[in-house]
Amino acid sequence: MAILLRCGPLSAEDGEGRRLYSAVTVALDDECLTVLEGPSGGGKSTLLRQIAGLAPSEGVTRKLGGRRWDGKELPGWRSEVNLLMQDAPIIPGSVLENLNFPYEFESAGERVFDGERAGELLEEVGLNTIALDRQASTLSGGERHRLAIVRALLWAPAVLLADEPLSGLDGPRASRCFDLLREHARLPGHAVLCVLHDPAMGRGADRRMCLESERLTAA
Amino acid sequence: MTDLIQLTPVDLLVATVLVLAAGLVSLAMRLDIEKRLALSAARTVVQLGLVGLILERVFALRRPIVVLAILAVMILFAGREASNRSTRAYRGMRWDSLLAMGATCLVVGAVVTQVVVGVQPWYDPQYVIPLLGMILGNSLNGVSLCLERLLEHLSARRHEVELRLVFGATRSEALREPIRAAVRTGMIPVTNIMAAAGIVALPGMMTGQILAGAPPMQAVAYQIVIMFTLAAANAMGSMLIATAAARRLVAADGRLKVEQLR
Repeated sequence: MAILLRCGPLSAEDGEGRRLYSAVTVALDDECLTVLEGPSGGGKSTLLRQIAGLAPSEGVTRKLGGRRWDGKELPGWRSEVNLLMQDAPIIPGSVLENLNFPYEFESAGERVFDGERAGELLEEVGLNTIALDRQASTLSGGERHRLAIVRALLWAPAVLLADEPLSGLDGPRASRCFDLLREHARLPGHAVLCVLHDPAMGRGADRRMCLESERLTAA
Repeated sequence: MTDLIQLTPVDLLVATVLVLAAGLVSLAMRLDIEKRLALSAARTVVQLGLVGLILERVFALRRPIVVLAILAVMILFAGREASNRSTRAYRGMRWDSLLAMGATCLVVGAVVTQVVVGVQPWYDPQYVIPLLGMILGNSLNGVSLCLERLLEHLSARRHEVELRLVFGATRSEALREPIRAAVRTGMIPVTNIMAAAGIVALPGMMTGQILAGAPPMQAVAYQIVIMFTLAAANAMGSMLIATAAARRLVAADGRLKVEQLR
């Protein structure tokens, strides 16, 4: 299978200076959902944030579909290699504003907000009963996570880095959301790297990697 | 202004009775602020006394270099004070606030003293020092409020900023909202003062001029100039400090350097 994304070498330490991992290179296969496993506190979130260029990363080469992106192009890279952040943060404003704010950015390019598709996805994740003009700050944790998944899928980046996207979701909802992420990953020219805490769900992945003892290995 | 009532040391002693009365209230009600009140009162006397002595000398000297030196010291203190008031700090914050205060004071000060009032000679200390002092004092407030708000936003609401970044926002796109909110906060005191001017209380400078015997309409004209000057100074100072701080705390590639915040 062709490699869609390659990013490395990545090294990181935790807040106390303990080495989390060193000289790790992440390679994601095209049309593939890869699950990232490993003990908690092992640096999985940091690794995702480094790939997205939100955490310090010196001397790293970032490649997507054969094209190399340098440090100055990070905003463009982030719009193609999108991080689904842990804890599903929101911006102040309505549910709708939380779905369509990225389309104002320069890096949105040709992308336009597709209200119809948004409606379909909201229904898929069970958020269709929520009014679009409702303040996003009134949503529960689980609802915010589903909203974040809808926003990411609407944006349809080439690569989605999902950091515990299913937290706070009950069984059937979590598995429906996982299916949506996998469907997105299996599109040509796409991939998803997902941190999960549910081993049973992880078995549904196309590939599994493990970040443990400072190294990244195939699980 | 020949009808000006001169204050004698006896008058000041009588005024001291008033502050002593405030101290007695504190003692009677156990407010526990009598020491602070005494210390502040003493500072007022000493600081203003010194300023009075210096101003008398400077007014008598009328030398541009002396005026410029005094302005430089005022800017230095204002810059330091603006960064000291913040509960958070980052490396380079002193320089940023010094730059914001200095640039604001010089640009807005130059316009008001040279263009609007048309001070002759350009360094006339009687006009230049009090006008720039007022600009510094007020923009100090705006700058420190604005800085505090921005740092609070970038640390407490960093995930919100990062949420924009992960969707490809550039640094300026991601910082638009935090900077806007911070500048707005920095502008609140001066807009409040402008809106309430003359209704709630006569502004200090106007009161001073009227007490000193100036015709009320002339005092009003000066006060309007001052208010507009302060609005410009607050806006410029807030914008400068917010932009400078944001650029230090967010890398050009959009990475939030929150680790720099203490």
